[in-house]
Amino acid sequence: MTTEAYPGAGRPGMTSGGVIITAVSCLSALLVIAALVYATGIGQRHTAALAAADCEPNLSPSGQQCTTQPMMAAEYAAMLAPAGQQLTTDAAAYTANEGDHLAVAEAALTAEVAAERALGRSLAAFPFPPAIARLAKGLIQANQARAGLTAEQAASSSLTRLRSFNHQVQLADAAVQTEMKLVLAAVDAPLPGG
Amino acid sequence: MARNTVGPRADQAWATDYYQPSPPADTRPAPRPGTPKAAKKPASDHGLQRRSPKSRVDEWMEADFKFGGSRIKRKAVALVLLGLPAPVPLFFMLPALVTLNSNTFAVSVDDTLGTGAEICLFLCLLVTPMVTLTGQHWFVPLRRWYGIMMAATSIGDAVAASITDNFAGGVFGRLAGHVFELMGFLMVMLVIPIVCTSNPWAQKKLGKYWKRFQRLTYVIWGLLACHLMLLEGFGFESGSNGSGFAGDGDAVFHQRFYQYSACSLFLLTLRLPPVKRWIADRQKEGRSWLVWVTVAPIFALFVLGFVFILNEEIFKGIDSFMNHPSAE
Repeated sequence: MTTEAYPGAGRPGMTSGGVIITAVSCLSALLVIAALVYATGIGQRHTAALAAADCEPNLSPSGQQCTTQPMMAAEYAAMLAPAGQQLTTDAAAYTANEGDHLAVAEAALTAEVAAERALGRSLAAFPFPPAIARLAKGLIQANQARAGLTAEQAASSSLTRLRSFNHQVQLADAAVQTEMKLVLAAVDAPLPGG
Repeated sequence: MARNTVGPRADQAWATDYYQPSPPADTRPAPRPGTPKAAKKPASDHGLQRRSPKSRVDEWMEADFKFGGSRIKRKAVALVLLGLPAPVPLFFMLPALVTLNSNTFAVSVDDTLGTGAEICLFLCLLVTPMVTLTGQHWFVPLRRWYGIMMAATSIGDAVAASITDNFAGGVFGRLAGHVFELMGFLMVMLVIPIVCTSNPWAQKKLGKYWKRFQRLTYVIWGLLACHLMLLEGFGFESGSNGSGFAGDGDAVFHQRFYQYSACSLFLLTLRLPPVKRWIADRQKEGRSWLVWVTVAPIFALFVLGFVFILNEEIFKGIDSFMNHPSAE
């Protein structure tokens, strides 16, 4: 780069620096104007893009403007995974101790109750779309019933009494599983109108 | 009588001395009159080869004011206020770090710290053009501060990504498993020696090579272009497959590569020696208005790009801070 006058510029005051900055300035002005023109259509494009991308406006767990079907399914799976893991661990601990260690079995059941109630709270807070919310309500109720039964079982005074709840708890658990499958199928499936 | 109890220079410790604007690349000692070279080329006719005298704003900034029994320079206060936003990206990730929330790190550390590092880099690079345009030098220490914060943020990003990203191939795979990641990894590898030598001791030891070495920052600037280009399909991917979100109505504004380009045009143009000379000439002629009029559209484009980068940083940063990361 030199300080000499730009040979093609035509007038003596125009240096290469002047030519460069003028050209860049004009380009920038054009780009800014183009950006302003583009900005005027944001509203319509936004509405169209939301509809085209199957966004569910009521599904905004992290303040996102668009939550799609796969995003909701992923959020739901992420919520279920730790609860499922905890319940499996607690159930295994109970099964291992229901025959001879009352205190340990009760502790396992107490932990199970806590996990079931936490799951209930998470399900209640999850922003299901209206079509799935009805199914989710059934799941929450089934989970609540199971938690109540498990809490009752945890308060047993003997091993015999403790084991007498097993059948009822299994039935309650099966009810939860059935409801859970329904919700999971609805979450994975395309939303109504989507 | 109020006096500075810390020492005469305590209030300006990071604001002075070592990081005064360095002379531009084409600086040479002015040849002595009468020598053949001097006869060929008059020295310093564009105001680039000598440090310009202090502007009125610089003088105003040098003045003290009384605060709580101490005398503080206006410059020191202004520098602290202007430097405060630099650690904000790191602050956004603090709750996730304290609670060891790997989900927040895995989902949004790249956006929060990566964008934060980009902001710091641009602010660091903005100092020189602003000196060229305004002739003021009081804010030059911010260059070092933003450079250091850029390094801290980008290293934090790399460390978190190496632990929490979902890419296969172990730590190296998570850091450099894709080409765009490799670019980011190279940037971090370059930023480490730069930040390690950003101190008076290294400046003294490296002597004339120090400035050349610090210019590796320009390589980082270039690698960032490659990183962002590859990240979003050369600027053509948007929505769930690129920047923004699936229902984005202004995908172009959310393209990181476009934001980068809009900002870089201003930063690059005002670094070109012929442009700097042109500006110095117009200022010397007393036609600064012409400079401002010409630069205004370029600066407007810079602001346009920068606002969207800031927008992304704020929204994703707040999501990260709330431990509810945005996967957009």
